[in-house]
Amino acid sequence: MICEDARRRIGAEPGVTSRELADHLRDCHACVAFQLEMITLDAHIRRALQEPPAIARARRRLPAQRTWALAASVVLALAATLAVWALRTDNSLAHDVVAHVVAEPQSWADTDAVSEAALDAVLRKSGVILGATPYSVVYARSCWFRGHYVPHLVVHTAHSLATVLILRNETVTTRESFHEDGLYGVIVPGTRGSIAVLAANGAQLDELADRMLLAVRSTNAVK
Amino acid sequence: MRNYPSDIPVSSMGGPATTGVEDDVRITRLFESLRPELLRFALWLTRDRALAEDVVQESLLRAWRSREALKDPACSRAWLLTIVRREHARLYERKRLELVSLNEALEHESNAFLSRDDGEVNALRSAILQLPIEYREPLIMQVLGGFSVDEIARELSLSASAVLTRLFRARNKLRTLYGLTPAPDSLGSEEAP
Repeated sequence: MICEDARRRIGAEPGVTSRELADHLRDCHACVAFQLEMITLDAHIRRALQEPPAIARARRRLPAQRTWALAASVVLALAATLAVWALRTDNSLAHDVVAHVVAEPQSWADTDAVSEAALDAVLRKSGVILGATPYSVVYARSCWFRGHYVPHLVVHTAHSLATVLILRNETVTTRESFHEDGLYGVIVPGTRGSIAVLAANGAQLDELADRMLLAVRSTNAVK
Repeated sequence: MRNYPSDIPVSSMGGPATTGVEDDVRITRLFESLRPELLRFALWLTRDRALAEDVVQESLLRAWRSREALKDPACSRAWLLTIVRREHARLYERKRLELVSLNEALEHESNAFLSRDDGEVNALRSAILQLPIEYREPLIMQVLGGFSVDEIARELSLSASAVLTRLFRARNKLRTLYGLTPAPDSLGSEEAP
């Protein structure tokens, strides 16, 4: 499979990876980045479609009975939303992580390694340093997430790209895997806080998370 | 296995006499519960609220008349969405619809829209609405309806590769909105990928 075919396939079904495509992606970082861009774009499309388009108001006046029915359905929808909100659990951390990553699609586009100084600056802002890893960091930003600045990194592994969020203020008790908006992810508990790792496919996510967990250390200069 | 409304007797009138009252109540509730989703689907297809409401109304009527064809209630969503899509297509076959400037329509509504949503999603919605129907329809069926490529192909009477091409082109057009470079598209026909 050549890149053009791979991109057509990805563009048609961003979340689907056939064996042939997987073989291509193993050796083509550019297509991996393209897939991740398309997955994030698809998440935006999905959200955009969730609401009806705001064009063309009803030309006809609603009969009173239908107006009441509409009002009742709005009340019911609000009640349902409140119920869901009330029952919200810490699982929403995974949802928030995905939402954050999807909102930053440009993070997948960088291919050059971030300078050590730039990476260090991002990490120190959150009071951490990164020890040796086999991965090259191609994106590093300090992002506002749930009331704190967190390091948002994208790393090149041997075969893919993965996002890493170092969440020092988010405690989880157990390792949690998830799949949302076409992204696979895992959140692992650390000595302080947790680390979230996301990628377009779930292979080797756990290994990557474990390596990052070992590499992330606290500094004394916590701000 | 999904039910497909291919077995709907389009011109049939009246419901089957053998359906029990309880079943009818159950199926009415089921249809009503899916109505908002059907309307949203129809709105994205028609780009016109009044037309979408007509399409949904007509679709529910057709579905009701053919309710015996719905063998598995778990498939009702896909079944009804397919009926809505067909009703929309039928509408185009029956009459040439009045063309409305989409830009004007969007402009007309933009203030209310922007007040409750961010500009980026708004821009994406506008872009989706402006996609030609041959690209918008499979995209909406896939993303909103949850249909597979094969199912879309069957429904639109296209080959799977043609559907893949249309889906690719739809997303490729939307990529530019995000400042992303569109992927090369050297396909002359829809059959290549």
